[in-house]
Amino acid sequence: MTGQVGSVALGAGLAASVAATLLWLRRALAPDAPVRPARLATAAALVAAVLACGAAEWALLRHDFSLRFVAEHGGRHVPVYYTVTSLWSALDGSLLLWLLILTGYAGLLARTVPADGRRLHPWAMAVVSVVAVFFFALSHFAANPFHPVAPVPADGPGPNPLLRTHPAMGLHPPLLYAGYVGLVVPFGYALAGLLAGPAGRRWAVPARRWTLLAWTLLTAGILLGAWWSYAVLGWGGYWAWDPVENASLVPWLTATAFLHALRRPGAVDRTGWPVGLACASFLLVLLGTFLTRSGMVASVHAFTASPLGPVLLGFLLVTAVGTVLLIGWRLRLPADSDTPRAEPLLSRPTALLGTLILLTTIAAVVLAGTLFPLLAEAVSGTTAAVGPGYFHRTVVPLAIVLLGLVGLAPLLSRAGTSPGELAGRAAAPAGVALAAVAVPGLLSRPGPTVLAAFGCAGFALASTAADLWRRLRASGRRAGWSRIGTALAHAGIALVAVGAAASAAYTVSVERELAVGESLTASGATVRLAAIERTGDDAGMRVRARLAVGPSGRPTGTAAPELTYHPGHDLTVSVPAIRPGLLRDTYTTLLAVSADGRTATVRLAVNRMVSLVWAGGALTVLGGALVLAGTVPRRARRGRIRRDRDRPRPAAPVAPGGAR
Amino acid sequence: MRPRRAVGAAVLLVLLLGAVLGTYRSVRVADDDPARRLSSELRCPACQGESVADSRSPIAAAIREVIAARLRAGDSPEEVRTYLVRRYGAEVLATPPAQGWGLLLWLVPVLALGVGAGSALRTHRRRRGAAPGARPAPPRPTRRPPPPVTAAGVWTAGAVAVLALVGGVAVAAPRLATAPEPARRPGPAIAADPVLDLLALARAAEEQGRYEAAAEIYRTALERRPADEIRLRFAFILIRLGQTAEAARLAETVLAARPDTPDALLMLGLAQRDSDPAASVHTLRRFLDRAPGHPAAAEVRRLLGDG
Repeated sequence: MTGQVGSVALGAGLAASVAATLLWLRRALAPDAPVRPARLATAAALVAAVLACGAAEWALLRHDFSLRFVAEHGGRHVPVYYTVTSLWSALDGSLLLWLLILTGYAGLLARTVPADGRRLHPWAMAVVSVVAVFFFALSHFAANPFHPVAPVPADGPGPNPLLRTHPAMGLHPPLLYAGYVGLVVPFGYALAGLLAGPAGRRWAVPARRWTLLAWTLLTAGILLGAWWSYAVLGWGGYWAWDPVENASLVPWLTATAFLHALRRPGAVDRTGWPVGLACASFLLVLLGTFLTRSGMVASVHAFTASPLGPVLLGFLLVTAVGTVLLIGWRLRLPADSDTPRAEPLLSRPTALLGTLILLTTIAAVVLAGTLFPLLAEAVSGTTAAVGPGYFHRTVVPLAIVLLGLVGLAPLLSRAGTSPGELAGRAAAPAGVALAAVAVPGLLSRPGPTVLAAFGCAGFALASTAADLWRRLRASGRRAGWSRIGTALAHAGIALVAVGAAASAAYTVSVERELAVGESLTASGATVRLAAIERTGDDAGMRVRARLAVGPSGRPTGTAAPELTYHPGHDLTVSVPAIRPGLLRDTYTTLLAVSADGRTATVRLAVNRMVSLVWAGGALTVLGGALVLAGTVPRRARRGRIRRDRDRPRPAAPVAPGGAR
Repeated sequence: MRPRRAVGAAVLLVLLLGAVLGTYRSVRVADDDPARRLSSELRCPACQGESVADSRSPIAAAIREVIAARLRAGDSPEEVRTYLVRRYGAEVLATPPAQGWGLLLWLVPVLALGVGAGSALRTHRRRRGAAPGARPAPPRPTRRPPPPVTAAGVWTAGAVAVLALVGGVAVAAPRLATAPEPARRPGPAIAADPVLDLLALARAAEEQGRYEAAAEIYRTALERRPADEIRLRFAFILIRLGQTAEAARLAETVLAARPDTPDALLMLGLAQRDSDPAASVHTLRRFLDRAPGHPAAAEVRRLLGDG
């Protein structure tokens, strides 16, 4: 029964989004066509996606093993929380979540007509609806989770054990998807700008708002993913340059570049950086989806091989070719603005241009490193691997230069700054930067790369703080959320860089086989093995090492890393125990336990300043949210309500920021 | 104002000196452990995305031992790397070397930066050329106006495209679903039974004729799980490598627990051929008595001269 409801919902969603596409297209072509049917069709698609997700969750919670998805990924022994999250712990269910978020964005977008973009809006809606059509079709025809199985099993294996060891599982994938899928809206507006004729010149304003929303969510999602990796995978780090991690980073980089491209003069042009970056971001989202959903790359996070790959690749190619053709067609039309004047070299637009070039270069490098093994295998038949070494030698220097530019940009003015003026403004931040190099360099030996990162981060932090202070004073403390948010986001990125550099340089780890009572010391932290406990039940075996943490003789706490064995998946998971501190985390992992249960191999790592990565990331997310809040002035909201008389109930306007 | 500026400059100078000194000290830090550095540049063949230095898998442990032994024996890190590449294939390197296809990868950052900077420079030059006099650039010559497109035509084309999209997915998806699944890649690094991974790896090495590598992997597997099947596979490889004494010992261990196991008799008989031909003939005859229909029986008969 539940299966039929789900299947019918997917079919209805497909029909509704086809109808929505055509109705929005009609509205775009003939502005007097009624908007109501199109809105209803979009709403119907949303309702269908909600129903499909609801049916899948209902089946998971009721342990209805007659459905393929539940039989493969449900389990009676799985706690309720992880039963709910198991919807997105495997391929088919994660597509349902994807659909829910996509139709959610479509529904939100349908109700948010930009004040001066009424001709643009239906075009953007049509683009978003086409994407929804494709994903409904994909879910219905290629990855339908509601297919029945026979015979009906009595129990299932449950989701992958790695995906039910940490509560972040409930938050990380939905947030990441929300950011990922959200980039479809700026893509829709960019295409709308190309398609809508003279009215298209205003596309950048709504596109920026929606990108800010998606960017903030994506940043939070990537950050949570790094935290999950740190807290669950047990190898002690948070970023492994894994293909799936890279697939989420590349669109983030291009979306960041897009947000900066709009700050340059001449950003209204429909042929330059902004359009290219907005389109590239969504195409990279599709590429990332292809990489992670097709089993093409071997990764800890990837789903298994499936027939989705070729279909997704086909859609990606069609979309990419269509976009390129559209941009090429636009190039033949008269330019939007007169050729702007050349910018002086020492000016903020130049710094912004440098930012764009660096961000896109980093994106290209990460993408090349991710795709190289696939391409090498396809072209020359040899297998090759691209490990962290490549990214450390290419991305890290580029990122350090970028960080320096983050510090330089606030010191430059829009119209140009003379070298003398710049030297005066840069003196204090440069002092901070030199101190940030000198002090750690003289007290320890972290290596020149780490010192350069410290220096540039110090420069960026100091110059951002000075700039914010100057602006707050000049405008009488009414600088606006947007400025404060920008400063916070930049400061957050600088803090992430400090945390990443310090944790790479100062982390110490040792591993040894310990008998009960023996202890292990690394960089001033000591753990003593107090006991080894074994428990076992139907759901699996669990071995836990009880460790006393603290200086020898006077333990200050305990840690209990464990190994769990899951027979359903034939998988052993090592769950680390982390004692977080402000500047140092004590990170213990249980690697192995001897057969007689008397000794355990324990890894003890002292990770420095990892907390700065989390703090900086959170600050960046907060900054993004503040800038987003700043783009939705109250006046505009009221104005829109008055104008949109054709809407049935304008009482609850939903602004792009309304998803918060 | 003046003294303040002078003090500021002095402070900056002192800081600059400290920064240069600190960086200089840092540059001279030498990586004291060549084995560690080398193993961190190698990829563990049985894992996903883990280096030999970090991996806990037995095969990584075996490679670490090989590295340490070769370095102790006086090989340079470069020689050890070449040796390992010959043994495990080029994919053992964590990053492709900057030659051939790999060079392309290393050129990506240079090319991307070059293209970006080059186009920015060109735009800058063009605008500077246009700036004096601040005249608006001559309007780009509009080519002939685009052919008139009716709204109905666009709508119909859109409708056909959307339906083609749905139809394409509907037709393609079931066909792809029934297509034979590509071979599964090795499971994630945390597979519960690393011994199975090891055995598959050893078998692959065997098929490629890399017997030394296979023997090493079997040895590691045997340490993890002292099972008779592994002993016998290991013995077979050792015989191929001419290390018959150890092979005989392994076969005898199996026979001590399970007397008259045909495969163990076969291995023991083959291992004894050089050292003790008489005992070998005796053992192989026992093998033929126990398993006359064994796939290797015909070959053994030929060896014994039974025709």
